[in-house]
Amino acid sequence: MSEPSAETGVTVPMAAEPGRVQRRIGIGFWLSMSWIVLVVLAAVLAPWLPLKDPDANYIVTGTRPPYGPSWTHPFGTDQDARDLFSRVIFGARTSLIIGFVAISFGMIIGGGLGIIAGYYRKWVDRTISVVMLILLSFPALILAILITSLIDRGLFTISVTLGILAIAPVGRLARAATLSFAEREFVTAARSLGASNGRIIVRELLPNVVIPMAALALLGMAVAIVAEGGLAFLGLSIEKGFTWGKLILYGAGARDLERAPWISFAPILVLFITVLALNYAGDRIRDYFDVKEISL
Amino acid sequence: MNYLFQRLAMAVMLLLAVSALTFGGMNLLGDPLFNILGPVAADTSNPTSVAKIDAAKEKYYLDRPLPERYVRWLGDMVTGDFGVQFSSTGEPPVTNLLKERTPRTFQLLVLAQFMATAISIPWALIAAARVRRPTDRISTVTSFLLIALPNFALGIILKYLLGIKLGWFPLTYTASDPFFSRLHQLILPALTIALPAAAVYQRLLRTDLVTTLQEDFILMARSKGVPRRRVLVRHALRPSLFSFITVFGINTGALIGGSLIVETIFRVPGLGSAIVEAILREDFPVVLAIVMIATTTFVLVNIAVDLLYSVLDPRVRR
Repeated sequence: MSEPSAETGVTVPMAAEPGRVQRRIGIGFWLSMSWIVLVVLAAVLAPWLPLKDPDANYIVTGTRPPYGPSWTHPFGTDQDARDLFSRVIFGARTSLIIGFVAISFGMIIGGGLGIIAGYYRKWVDRTISVVMLILLSFPALILAILITSLIDRGLFTISVTLGILAIAPVGRLARAATLSFAEREFVTAARSLGASNGRIIVRELLPNVVIPMAALALLGMAVAIVAEGGLAFLGLSIEKGFTWGKLILYGAGARDLERAPWISFAPILVLFITVLALNYAGDRIRDYFDVKEISL
Repeated sequence: MNYLFQRLAMAVMLLLAVSALTFGGMNLLGDPLFNILGPVAADTSNPTSVAKIDAAKEKYYLDRPLPERYVRWLGDMVTGDFGVQFSSTGEPPVTNLLKERTPRTFQLLVLAQFMATAISIPWALIAAARVRRPTDRISTVTSFLLIALPNFALGIILKYLLGIKLGWFPLTYTASDPFFSRLHQLILPALTIALPAAAVYQRLLRTDLVTTLQEDFILMARSKGVPRRRVLVRHALRPSLFSFITVFGINTGALIGGSLIVETIFRVPGLGSAIVEAILREDFPVVLAIVMIATTTFVLVNIAVDLLYSVLDPRVRR
């Protein structure tokens, strides 16, 4: 388990944690990554896997759905007798796309702005910092609600909206990381050799800033997947198709929860393990590369 | 004092920016006239519709330029009047709706933060007193799991276990019930918000406590013969509260967002359901009002947190 210290950037002196100078990434990291790879593979290959049709109604004549978990339906079925196992896997497609697009967007825009702010400083830094402050002072979910309600509720809009939420945290991290590298000797050396600003940013700073950002990318992907679930509960997730959030919501009513808890609990379980794996892997990368100053 | 003044000026600028962005965005991207009148708004051939359109434009000031409307709205808002709803009647005024809804969300959040504090401080003290021993390890794993659990998932799990299976708490909120039964109805939603928050606070506080416990004055207190428990609570806790308090403030924003979702799960008719309904009807004044309330609260809590620093630590005072 990772030390909480890195979570807030609060540094714990080494003396406080004797014998904990660990430089191994640990088995937990590989377990988490295996789960993530498994889910991603299942989601990508879903149409070619021997799964039941997620939209077909498997009603057994003479009985009323929902059916509990069984050999034919490992996760049970929902109220319309649709197979939950394949729905969870097909739902992963949309949820993962949203998470991936969101965090890529946040990384590119936020990371770019952060590096520029940290490298050029002065008024550039001040302007970008004010924009980030404004972004941060919106309660995140409310910003997401505003954008999705004003534009539309397509897959792309929702992903980009959640990506906008990632800009400020990613940007602050990239800025802090850039600030700590921009005065180092290798940057001065490159500059005195006549390298342009653009070249210094891309060739000297970016490779150093990417590692802390990778840890944040995994955490951010988890946050985006969860945020989509939150939007689903407000009735603001994507209109067509289904995601993990929408699947959970589908069984969340008091009556359904009482007689068929598996409708909600099957997607909750998969969502939870995935978020856990992303968080844990992100934490491990952060500890392994000794990244401070990350805050989400 | 100068510092406080700076913080307040900054807060005002921030709120202005947020309100201008929201106001502009909603008016440019949305279609206020359509939200007020419905399909009639597009029907410009029929003279009666045109009359209605003109009347509505007049009444809601839609014929004025955007900056003027913004300033008008801002002036009203500062005096506590959030204007009229974008519906055919404009009734009830947004302020009335907010007066009804805000206290519920406020109670929910206060109860949740209270629970989170009440859970996290003893939890962190116990963990810090047993650093690296099994109790501490288990508590670290527990908090990690709680943090990864999305609030809607936790809400459903609590609703299923404590509400349906054990029947300890009611599943819905009834606004007309007396105060104490409403409080009882708020416990499950508050707990849903409080548990992950408590986990976050516990993590921070434990780390800071572990650091503080290495300090010389703790050794001093111990060697004077002060009992362990008293050292923890009386000597170590106060200087360890800093990150806890900062995150307490920052987290308020996340909790406001979380409360919207939790309110829908447990059917608490607070600001959360109000903003969702307003968005679906594209009732912009209501959305704007709730965004402003949430943002203002968030900003004020963070200023309060800054002031608390100087109370807690005399070294920060100048």
